[in-house]
Amino acid sequence: MPQKHDLPDPTPPQPLFRFDRRLLANFDWVMLLAVLLIATCGLLNLYSATSHSNPGFFYRQIAYYIAGLGLIGGMLCFDYRRLAAYHHLIYLGMLALLAAALWFGASVANTQRWIRLGFFNLQPSEPAKLALVISLANYYARHDTAEGLGLRDLITPGLLTFIPFFLIYKQPDLGTGLLLLAIFASMTLFAKLRLRTFAVLTSASAIGAYLGYKFLLKPYQLARITTFLNPDAPENRAAGGYHIIQSKIAIGSGMKFGKGFGNGTQVHLDFLPERHTDFAFSVWAEEWGFVGSLVLLGLYVFLLLWGLNTAIQARDKFGVLLAIGIVSLIFWQAWINVAMVLGLTPVVGMPLPLFSYGGSSLLTTLAGIGILMNIRMRRFQSLPRHQ
Amino acid sequence: MKKSVLRVISQIPKVDEAELPSLKKRLDIVTAVVLCMVGILVLRLWHLQIYMGADYRQQSERNRTRVLALPAPRGNILDRNGRLLVTNRPSFNVVWTRDDAPSTEEQEAIRRRLATLLGVDLSTILERCSLIDELPKYTPITLAEDIDWPTLARIENRRFALPGIRIEARPIRRYPEGDIASHLLGYIGAINKQELRQRRDKGYTRNDLIGKMGIERIFEDYLRGEKGRRYLEVDARGYEQQVLAVREPLPGDDITLTIDAELQHTAEQALAGKAGAVVAMEVQTGRLLVLASSPPLPISRFVGRIPPALWQSLRNDPLRPFPNKAIQDHYPPGSTYKIITAMAGLSEGVITPETVFYCSGSLKLGDTRFGCWKRGGHGAVSLRRALAESCDVYFYLVGQKLGVDRLAAYARSFGLGQRSGIELEYESAGLVPTTDWKRRTQREPWQEGETLTVAIGQGFNLATPLQVCMMTVATANGGTVYRPQFVERITKPDGTVVRRFAPKPLGTVKGDRRFLRVIHKGLVAAVNARHATGALARLDGITVAGKTGTTQVAGKNRIRSRKNDDIPYRLRDHAWFTCYAPAERPEIAVTVLVEHGGHGGSAAAPIARKVLARYFGIQPSTDNDK
Repeated sequence: MPQKHDLPDPTPPQPLFRFDRRLLANFDWVMLLAVLLIATCGLLNLYSATSHSNPGFFYRQIAYYIAGLGLIGGMLCFDYRRLAAYHHLIYLGMLALLAAALWFGASVANTQRWIRLGFFNLQPSEPAKLALVISLANYYARHDTAEGLGLRDLITPGLLTFIPFFLIYKQPDLGTGLLLLAIFASMTLFAKLRLRTFAVLTSASAIGAYLGYKFLLKPYQLARITTFLNPDAPENRAAGGYHIIQSKIAIGSGMKFGKGFGNGTQVHLDFLPERHTDFAFSVWAEEWGFVGSLVLLGLYVFLLLWGLNTAIQARDKFGVLLAIGIVSLIFWQAWINVAMVLGLTPVVGMPLPLFSYGGSSLLTTLAGIGILMNIRMRRFQSLPRHQ
Repeated sequence: MKKSVLRVISQIPKVDEAELPSLKKRLDIVTAVVLCMVGILVLRLWHLQIYMGADYRQQSERNRTRVLALPAPRGNILDRNGRLLVTNRPSFNVVWTRDDAPSTEEQEAIRRRLATLLGVDLSTILERCSLIDELPKYTPITLAEDIDWPTLARIENRRFALPGIRIEARPIRRYPEGDIASHLLGYIGAINKQELRQRRDKGYTRNDLIGKMGIERIFEDYLRGEKGRRYLEVDARGYEQQVLAVREPLPGDDITLTIDAELQHTAEQALAGKAGAVVAMEVQTGRLLVLASSPPLPISRFVGRIPPALWQSLRNDPLRPFPNKAIQDHYPPGSTYKIITAMAGLSEGVITPETVFYCSGSLKLGDTRFGCWKRGGHGAVSLRRALAESCDVYFYLVGQKLGVDRLAAYARSFGLGQRSGIELEYESAGLVPTTDWKRRTQREPWQEGETLTVAIGQGFNLATPLQVCMMTVATANGGTVYRPQFVERITKPDGTVVRRFAPKPLGTVKGDRRFLRVIHKGLVAAVNARHATGALARLDGITVAGKTGTTQVAGKNRIRSRKNDDIPYRLRDHAWFTCYAPAERPEIAVTVLVEHGGHGGSAAAPIARKVLARYFGIQPSTDNDK
């Protein structure tokens, strides 16, 4: 592999497998530890929730974790800046997968979210989140201005977000679609907006949200919102308020110290739907109580703040924005999921990252974690900053 | 690394020292936002678990919620004309949630009352309850299935003396056409431990029914539908207060077969009392019209629990109802195989359409005499007459000139000796013997005499009735071997097509396909000529082409002079007849096998004739078998 001395940056990214010794020294043990702690909690919880009815979930999740650790290793092997070089390909690949899911995807409960791969059912909206983060980070890294972004600067990232949003909305999976918007908003705000732009955008999204609520929502989505606003009304108990009521009973009955591992009655009697995926946190809160819930939330906060710390360590703007994007990806999913099972937001299909059962979500999150570790590992690998 | 990649990467702006304070400030804001948002969650947790915790704990302990599974109606199975072959009817089961009755005395009393109401022994109820302690608390168990209306009414009237007892409605199988096509349709039964272990991921639970055989088993994933759920609020004694939520079950997909129920009935009636099989196929597509095996399985009596006595009597039936004789059993194809010997002989040039051999009634090879079925001999026979009158000596001579291995290549090309790939379980591959096969499996060299027996379809040869029908289809349509197809399409309950099946050609027969015309003339003669062996398959107005076959079961011990009825059943010959019609433009091929039926011409041909008559809508006026 030839070194090109005519290039402006005399320390080009390291080629595959030629490891700088500093890379190993900078390996992000802290992040790995945080992930493993959350993983342990998640697996314990999954075992408790499913071992009596479907032990297969537990073993498959372990397999996904092993694959995911391999994936982290893979994400460390190359310089993360290559992602910026290949962002077009990544983005187009993501669009192709989303389109494939729409056109030839397996239909589960009248939605087209899955691509059957034989051994694994891929949910392309999961990796789509990460692909969007990479594309937005690349764009904002190159459009950083002191006075902040104007409206015109937002056309490209807006389009970058809207296309996958639309494809996912079509599946239909509104929750994941809105998550893309939340990631877009978080990264854009972080990249700095002009005050005027901010004002225009806020009012525009308020109007957009109102119109969306009025015209775009499907009846079941609307029902979820009205159900959320008044879960105890008799007609809503049947429509879906039931899940939230059961979830609240499960969580509340955990009290201070919980009912203990394997003793969650709400859980084991099948009252809780989706107890291994979207409602996994309810199981945890019932069995480990307020204290256990605080511990778990604490682990997430630690992981997120460590991710933010990675952002400030990054040597270039792409790294900063990439870290911010990944942190916002994990944060919004976790927050929306927990808020939903606590009855704070309407029911949307949103996994708790690293905790809920599901291969596509887990592998995507771990890939993101791998990128964060990559950024931190390569923080000393550049020249003294320009000027 | 590519130059372009390097350039792109090098253009990424670095983080400027001057920008660091601004970046830090923004990160601090983000941190604050994250902490505030998580703070909201913590407050809510405190509210639910600490402030309201005792309330919720009480609610969870009172256990006022029940989840009932609503079984989904299984998909229907229809024939090609939309006639229902398998559908559902409602049935009612008695289900008990034991823990609704607080004391063991009360539980005991309920068991006694229920035994009286159901008219069963208390021990039956206790047996059903034996598993209950291994299950999670409040798990309902089924105490009786498919109870009748009077029993249902008696239980409903006394429901206040029976806390925890509930009547559960469940759709079960109904067979409007009776036990028709039983081997093909198969049956369902209670899921066993092994099936449950394998299929837990797919949402099966302990009390589910699952396809055990045939279409019910193979298309289980389409037929089963999706269970619904009903969430109930109950009072302290388990009585329903209100329905909290319902998710309706989704019915399974319907399966439309290529089978024609009318023809299938005709075939099964014609086979009644005999052991055998009938296969009928569309000549131009390979779609099956009939796939019958006799005796039929009483699938309508397999609904719910199969009575052990019934099972035992089926096992002991000498006519062996369990195997699907059309595809799972194989027999020497007998003289129907002469089609292949003729095709091989013509294509390899050992005979021409004009070749004449002399049949003296036997052929001497070394010290052994190989007899023709007509002991007096046929005299000088042409190929046409050899097929029409099924002269063995003619085909001995053809086989002798060909050798067994050349013959085998043709047999394979007609679909013999390998599985057809039909989507049914335990299909037999049959056997096409070769010298190599014998050396491998028997460790003995091939004997020339064995070639002679193979050439007339006896000896080591084995074929399923389905394979013989495929061979006939290929002969009739000019040489295309089709994969037998029995499902036309799978549709959702609303009519949208989930999966459509199309005819699939597997290949073409070996040899010069023009010679099939020559064989065709022989087959027409085999039904319509003066001394035709298949004369009993003749139809008014439609020309039938066919070939009889009689398979020796008893070998050399068989005493030829005896009449069929005098020979013990197990030693009687198998009777074959395979045919297609109309001869000029073939539409349908029919293959009949009657186990130990005697002569193909007398035992099998009339059955094929009935199926053909029904297919062409001809009144069987000269029916001498009825």
